[in-house]
Amino acid sequence: MKNFQKNLQKLEATDTQVLGVSMDSPFSNKAFADQIGVTFPLLSDWGGDTTRKYGVYVDKYKAARRVNFLIGKDGKILEEQIDSSAIDPTKIVDACQRPKLKN
Amino acid sequence: MPRLTITAIAAWLLVGGCLTIPLPAADNKSASPLPALKVGDVAPDFKLQYFDGSDLKDVTLSQYRGKKNVVLAFYVFAFTGG
Repeated sequence: MKNFQKNLQKLEATDTQVLGVSMDSPFSNKAFADQIGVTFPLLSDWGGDTTRKYGVYVDKYKAARRVNFLIGKDGKILEEQIDSSAIDPTKIVDACQRPKLKN
Repeated sequence: MPRLTITAIAAWLLVGGCLTIPLPAADNKSASPLPALKVGDVAPDFKLQYFDGSDLKDVTLSQYRGKKNVVLAFYVFAFTGG
């Protein structure tokens, strides 16, 4: 999440809203956000319905996988990053900076 | 200790090591199918909440439709890295 925070200005400049999601409570997430200096919302998927809907729930850990989705203004998925590759958001920042997404 | 016993123990450890090491790797592999959603699919709408310090706020994916791109970053647990 810190890496998205570092790139937040670039992402916001391309009309992109960053949202973190985990199965923690809203209050844990707020404490986590404050601790690591994240200013975008960390959403609480308490119960995991959205996590399951996106197919990223891991039964073994009772939690989400580390996955990023870039969703365009038309609601379609433009990029996916999974597990360790999801930690560096460069691919998503680059995709947002492609001219077709700026309109 | 007789040399034969030491050799037997060494061989047992070696075989045991070979048997146990690949198991976690195989397990990781089986736990890593790609997410159900693919590039080009419509992302399902959701309504989730976050705490802004004083209130719980609702966020839906559909509120950004036609206005903003959205990065949805799923992470495992609060207070972990990445």
